[in-house]
Amino acid sequence: MAQCTLKPDLEFSRKLIAAGGEDLKKCYQCATCAVACPLAPANAPYPRKEMVWASWGLGDRLKSDVDIWLCHNCGNCSDLCPRGANPADVMSAARNVVYQDLLEPKQIGTWMSKFSGLPFLFGIPALLWLIVWWIRTSFTNGEWFPTRADGSIVFGDIFYGDYTIDPIFMITFFGALFIICRGAYKLWQSFKPEGTVAIVGEQKCWLCHLWDVLVEEVILASHFDECQDGPKTGKGTPSRRVGHTILVWAFCILAFVTAVVAFGHWGGKIFPAIEITTPLRPLHLIKLLANFGAILLVIGLGILTVRRVLENKTTHKSSYYDWYLLGIIWAIALTGILAQCFRLAEAAGCAFFIYYLHLVFVWMLFAYLPWSKLGHFVYRTVALLYVRMYGRKS
Amino acid sequence: MAEKIGVYFDLANIGGGLDVQSLATEATKKWGDFIAVSKLVPELALAVTDIEADIAAQGLDGVLLCGASPRFDNELYRFKAQVEYVNLREQCVLSYKNPDGSAYIPAEVAPAPLQQLAQDYVHMGVAKLQKSSVPDSAAIEITRRILVLGGGWTGLTAAYEASSMGYEVVLVEKAEKLGGAVINMPEASPLGPTWEHKTATNLQDKIAKVTGNAKIKVYLNAQMEHLTGQPGAYTANIKTPDGTKTEAIGSVILATGWTALDPKYLEPMGLGKSSKVVTLAEFGKMLLNDSVKAKRIAFVLDTTLAEEAFAKEAAAQEEAQAEAPEAPEAKDGEAEEKAFVKADLESFKHLKYSNVVNSVGMLRLANSVCEKSHDGVQAFILYKNMTVPGILERFYKRMQDRLGVMMTKADVTNIQEVGDHMVVECQNTLLGDDFDLEVDLVVLPTGLVPTTAKEVTVQFDYRQGPDFPDLELFDGYADSNYICFPYETRRTGVYAAGCVRQPLTLDACEVDAKGAVLKAVQCLEAANRGVAVHPRALDNSYPVFNFVRCTQCKRCTEECPFGALDDDEKGTPKPNPARCRRCGTCFGACPERVISFANYNIDQIGSMIRQVVVPADFKHDGPRILILACENDAYPALDMAGMRRKTWSPYCRIIPVRCLGSVNAIWISDAMSKGFDGVMLLGCKYGDDYQCHFIKGSEICNRRMQNIAETLNRLGVQPERVEQLEVAIDEYDKVPAMIDGFVARITALGPNPFKGM
Repeated sequence: MAQCTLKPDLEFSRKLIAAGGEDLKKCYQCATCAVACPLAPANAPYPRKEMVWASWGLGDRLKSDVDIWLCHNCGNCSDLCPRGANPADVMSAARNVVYQDLLEPKQIGTWMSKFSGLPFLFGIPALLWLIVWWIRTSFTNGEWFPTRADGSIVFGDIFYGDYTIDPIFMITFFGALFIICRGAYKLWQSFKPEGTVAIVGEQKCWLCHLWDVLVEEVILASHFDECQDGPKTGKGTPSRRVGHTILVWAFCILAFVTAVVAFGHWGGKIFPAIEITTPLRPLHLIKLLANFGAILLVIGLGILTVRRVLENKTTHKSSYYDWYLLGIIWAIALTGILAQCFRLAEAAGCAFFIYYLHLVFVWMLFAYLPWSKLGHFVYRTVALLYVRMYGRKS
Repeated sequence: MAEKIGVYFDLANIGGGLDVQSLATEATKKWGDFIAVSKLVPELALAVTDIEADIAAQGLDGVLLCGASPRFDNELYRFKAQVEYVNLREQCVLSYKNPDGSAYIPAEVAPAPLQQLAQDYVHMGVAKLQKSSVPDSAAIEITRRILVLGGGWTGLTAAYEASSMGYEVVLVEKAEKLGGAVINMPEASPLGPTWEHKTATNLQDKIAKVTGNAKIKVYLNAQMEHLTGQPGAYTANIKTPDGTKTEAIGSVILATGWTALDPKYLEPMGLGKSSKVVTLAEFGKMLLNDSVKAKRIAFVLDTTLAEEAFAKEAAAQEEAQAEAPEAPEAKDGEAEEKAFVKADLESFKHLKYSNVVNSVGMLRLANSVCEKSHDGVQAFILYKNMTVPGILERFYKRMQDRLGVMMTKADVTNIQEVGDHMVVECQNTLLGDDFDLEVDLVVLPTGLVPTTAKEVTVQFDYRQGPDFPDLELFDGYADSNYICFPYETRRTGVYAAGCVRQPLTLDACEVDAKGAVLKAVQCLEAANRGVAVHPRALDNSYPVFNFVRCTQCKRCTEECPFGALDDDEKGTPKPNPARCRRCGTCFGACPERVISFANYNIDQIGSMIRQVVVPADFKHDGPRILILACENDAYPALDMAGMRRKTWSPYCRIIPVRCLGSVNAIWISDAMSKGFDGVMLLGCKYGDDYQCHFIKGSEICNRRMQNIAETLNRLGVQPERVEQLEVAIDEYDKVPAMIDGFVARITALGPNPFKGM
């Protein structure tokens, strides 16, 4: 009697197909993809093995497979696949399905997986912020769109930071952080093989590895170049490095700005010297940086969106997950910029409504982050850290 | 006998500085009265009308065309006189090198050895023509009725196709109804474009096309009793429930199909040990009856388990046989011919041979069972070789698309029942590790054993026996030259099609049926014209016997690869020209040299050999080597070598022969007594992967070499002076080295002791 008994699960295959891997059954295991992939290691390369696991509905193997997180989705494999099985899409679908199942509550994962779940995802923050808005009208004499005497608009009059935005977002942020950390922990555990692993050769502490990963992979996004330098596919693959890097930098800047403002605001209550009051002057350094970040965000988004639209649909299909994330970020960027414009234009009705939408979308981004494609920021980092600690570069 | 010969020199194709005028003058001087016309023409292809005019005006009965190889433009030169060629281009000038081995740079005046070579060839050509005559017609009255044996998919297709070409058909089916194996098939693999989808077999339509056809007579529950005569004029005795029926038949299509391999061969894979193990054919039947309840099904295409078990057994048997002392000859068997006993040739190998049919069948049925249950079933296909021929690749793609169909290459190492399910152990899989599969049903391949391996299908009334010859060499499949002449069997006029020939999918069976019908029709019409079918298509010569000198030694009747010769009680051969493929193996065999063709005979080749000028001074003028080259492969290879400017020793003289089987030992004696120093027999490969167009010719020649060696020894000539070498048609690059190697060996041996005597 041999080894393990396989338990193929066609439901898992169906899920993968629904999550964007609709061509997975076409694979006939020639392994062109594994050769084409510039990132796959020589030993047990991907995505050939993932393709047969997908076809056989072996969810357990894919869920504990570190390789699906290492793929940068350049699409070389799909371009070169002689059967049109689109391995890149299957890898991406596998990631999507793992997001869906990795985290509690699972209901959110289910909603995230398809368009029909969007009203629920939108409904929750919409209702939340509507209640906040309604409560706050009692402080503005029932005025839903209050303006100051000089005609200026202060969003804080409705969505007062200290009591509404800050606590809600802090709870949301730390909640999401907790969930994603649990997810990352679960993922790490699932990567580990059973039993103990002996590691031979020079080792570094995990923090050093993490530093390397953050610098090489996140900040510099060097793997995109490797994808770009991959085998000639005969098909144009526009670089994703520029768009992706711009987007990452934009997020970093905006996160920094938010952190500075939050720190200045709450820290200022204890040390008045560092207090920052909002709204900031238009020429305030932090304000300039924030606007610069916003512009970068729009540029990065524009590049990535155009690339997805122009992509060859037969070999690179953008899944719902891709469009969800892009859509949310677009919505945040546009509502943020529009809200500021309307505020400056002193159009109260529009300004408050857009700002409300902005809050809804930002909440969606943060709250659902562990289940969304953006979660790859954490999961891929975990996977990269894992493989580096076990001696692999990628 | 050509007595008024026209000799034409094609100046456009004769180069190398040859003195063509001298060639012509020498020929006329030597052959005097036989040569009525001798002309140098600037370009032969433009002189066709002139030659026709000469034939009419001078009453020429032979035309000798000196220039390019006979393989070029010969369709231009179909005259009302016999035509022969002298190859002065490929095998003379283009392949010439100086005696010292240096390359020949064409000069104004050809060197003496080249001129001599050309002169020899011209004389040989005249001699050949002069000893050649026009055969009497062997045309026979034919019956335009085709016998189709087997009423399955192939047989039905063949019957319908033959009838639609205007031929009458007699269809003989062993079972009580038509349809054969397809009756139990739920669906077929694709039968036509787009080659992607399973398709209904529509067997009933196919049957209706046959049963409702006035040109087709169907016998059910019937079998062959006897097939007598020759193509075009066979008589078939058919055993039917209403007694024996006699039908006049022109040619036969053998579509008797297959029988399922004995289940014992699949026992190592669990068949018979559990009801949860079935063969693919049984599974098809189950699916047809809606009796498949299993939710997880393993289709095991890797048959290594069974093959290894029986290969071991077969090897042990062979060893035991080798060790056992030779069985003593039957006491009274020496004079009497042994009674025919049909050997059972079924073996585990048929499982392997059936891989294509099982690959395609498993894909189809795995898909069907998933489709029926809306992918509520998991169907695993575990293969070693997934063999999907040709365009069926499109079908494979479509079938694997099904969600429930899961495939992997795997070594299946064990299949056993555990509790209420089966466990299939798989190793070296594509999934990256070894694993067990728990399934409710295991489907094994069906071995397709050709009916020819199990029974005598045609019952020939031939001297060589009622069955096809040498079936044991081909595991029971009727021998056929698959590459060059599919459908051919070793019995002219009988064409195999469908799974009796090779395990095939239904679409391929249809193609086979159509192809075999075309061959059957060609054979009929060829018999009606008295010409050969193949490979010497349209050849109207045939062996003629001079019975006065025949000693009834039976060699010709035994050695004919096609059983063309019957004999009477005394052993006198009875030729059947329509069965004959004109290879000349019979006259190669005849020690008394009583067999000849009007245009190819012992005396003719002997005369050609004697035309070569053999110099007495071996040291100064070099050896002389005779090359008897098979015209099917070796001669074209030599032509190609010449065209590519490959050169060989100028001491060789090449004579094409129909087949090495037609080489009579007397030619070697002729050559030796003439003073040739060596004889090289250049022919096709023989053995398991033979390339001989007449199947046995080069093999028989090789066997005769022993006798030849003995004769040479007796004469005091080293037997090494005669060698048989094998060459394939595409080995033009190797053949010059083979020749030069032989010439070097002969040169080392020294001169033929008979030289100059």
